[in-house]
Amino acid sequence: MTGDLAFGGWSGVLIMAVYGLIMLAIGLITYFKNKNIRESNTEYYLGGRGLSVMVLFFTFYATQYSGNTIIGYAPQGYRIGFEWLQSITFMILVMVGYLLFAPRLYVLSRKFNFITPSDWLATRFRSKGITILGSILMLYGLGNYLLEQLVAVGQGVSGLTGGTVPYQLCVVFFIVIMLIYSWLGGMRSVAYTDTMQGIALLFGVFILVIGSIVYFGGLPSTADYMATFTPEKLGVPETDGIVGWFSMLVLVLIGASIYPHAIQRIFSAKNEKTLKNSLIGMAWMPFVTTGVILLVGIIGINAFPDLGEMESEKLVGMMANAIASENLFFYWAMILLFGGIIAAIISTADSVLLTFSSVISKDLYGRYINPKATEHKQIFVGKITGIIATGILLVIAWYPPATLYEIFVLKFELLVQIAPAFILGLYWKQLHSKSVFIGMVVGTIIATVMTFANITPFGIFSGLWGLLVNLIICVVGSLLFNISKSEKVEVDKVIGL
Amino acid sequence: MLKFKKEPIKNGKLWIIFGVLFLLSVPWYLPVGSYKPLILGIPYWGWIVILVSLAFSATITYAIKYLWITEEDPNMKEEEK
Repeated sequence: MTGDLAFGGWSGVLIMAVYGLIMLAIGLITYFKNKNIRESNTEYYLGGRGLSVMVLFFTFYATQYSGNTIIGYAPQGYRIGFEWLQSITFMILVMVGYLLFAPRLYVLSRKFNFITPSDWLATRFRSKGITILGSILMLYGLGNYLLEQLVAVGQGVSGLTGGTVPYQLCVVFFIVIMLIYSWLGGMRSVAYTDTMQGIALLFGVFILVIGSIVYFGGLPSTADYMATFTPEKLGVPETDGIVGWFSMLVLVLIGASIYPHAIQRIFSAKNEKTLKNSLIGMAWMPFVTTGVILLVGIIGINAFPDLGEMESEKLVGMMANAIASENLFFYWAMILLFGGIIAAIISTADSVLLTFSSVISKDLYGRYINPKATEHKQIFVGKITGIIATGILLVIAWYPPATLYEIFVLKFELLVQIAPAFILGLYWKQLHSKSVFIGMVVGTIIATVMTFANITPFGIFSGLWGLLVNLIICVVGSLLFNISKSEKVEVDKVIGL
Repeated sequence: MLKFKKEPIKNGKLWIIFGVLFLLSVPWYLPVGSYKPLILGIPYWGWIVILVSLAFSATITYAIKYLWITEEDPNMKEEEK
């Protein structure tokens, strides 16, 4: 194994510094161009609702595909083989999820000036319980997601530099850069840096797969190897694998499309055409992103056989190092991949952090704790809590609690519990607020208990069991209890399109 | 205010197609452990999953283009004038 030689010394440091400086420069330019950005929630958190097709597409892309997509998905492909083709389908299903609610939510966001996803819950249900619980579940999902990005930075850098650039130094360096540019320019900075980062991510992924094919042999030779030594990774999966595959699809369909930071991007679109074109582009990205990364993982089965679970997490670093040591072109190409991975991680982290701050500042602080606060003060509170939360997560990321994949599944368990309120609320006027709230509470408790006790009947994730009970309570409650006449009038005002 | 002329969620056929594609996208209907023929190093069932996924993306593109149509409410426009 050539794990220790490639990215040593100054080239790794140089590329890190250059990426950091470009991001900072974008933040500074945005700041000087829009000085009033921090006086208004719409300006700061939604970029003044003015994102064009290209910027919106890349901010969707860089937000949806994180560093984990490269660093975590390749090892998962390595571990389970072609069964991980599901990563293409579930990324497409995220778009199907959007079709369930994005058209209507976009129209309502314009009508009622939504800033955060909780604004929708508050407008629809006018229930303190639903809004607060929904906000807390979103904060949990977002915090978890941010943690995942911090762990990814650590794993990525330690894999790619062979330890030359210290793990902690790199994590802290990029978090500080991210905090500065988010602080300066809000959503605009985040979206513009996402554009740069999205391009770097795409470029990096392609260079990695080309390098892997050139130096480790293409798929046919790997398939021969698999047929001999690991046929279970090549053949149609057994029942357990199939059930896991189905439940993963359902979980992502519901969970990933209601990611709060993705929803906030729906609110940020300049107009409907922009939103539609960006979503069409996103529907095709899984093939050139998760599909290509799966190839890297599969080729790794032949290139680095018999890695243990935690060892395999460093697969991309090992492959990149091996490719980089072949010649000068691939050396620099892998340096760029390294930058692309960092960019992908940071671009997801910044989007998550911005939404996290907006939920705290607007939904919890501005709505309930200090309703008289000016928007400037709300934004300030959001920024400070964002920094504190990042600090806490950084401490946790120092000692990663599980593999990236396990963390990835865990965050869905609770986030999906807002789905019935979120989606049914858009269409069903009879939806009964108290039933929605009780469903959400019970679903959350079931998902939490089952996750901690590691109970997954029939191999179906505990979040889905929680969601099933949540949905039953929601629907049966709404059929049994009628909503009052005054409530009916209010609901009609909101969703009577 | 935008008004819906067509909304994807209200198109029953679209959701039937999505349902069928969803079921086809997981190879539960194929013999466990089978992988031959291998085409370009990818097992035959992998190609099926990829083709179904392509059909998914094409359907989504169609739905966004032709089944998500809103237009300005003429009454609102007059009011604005």
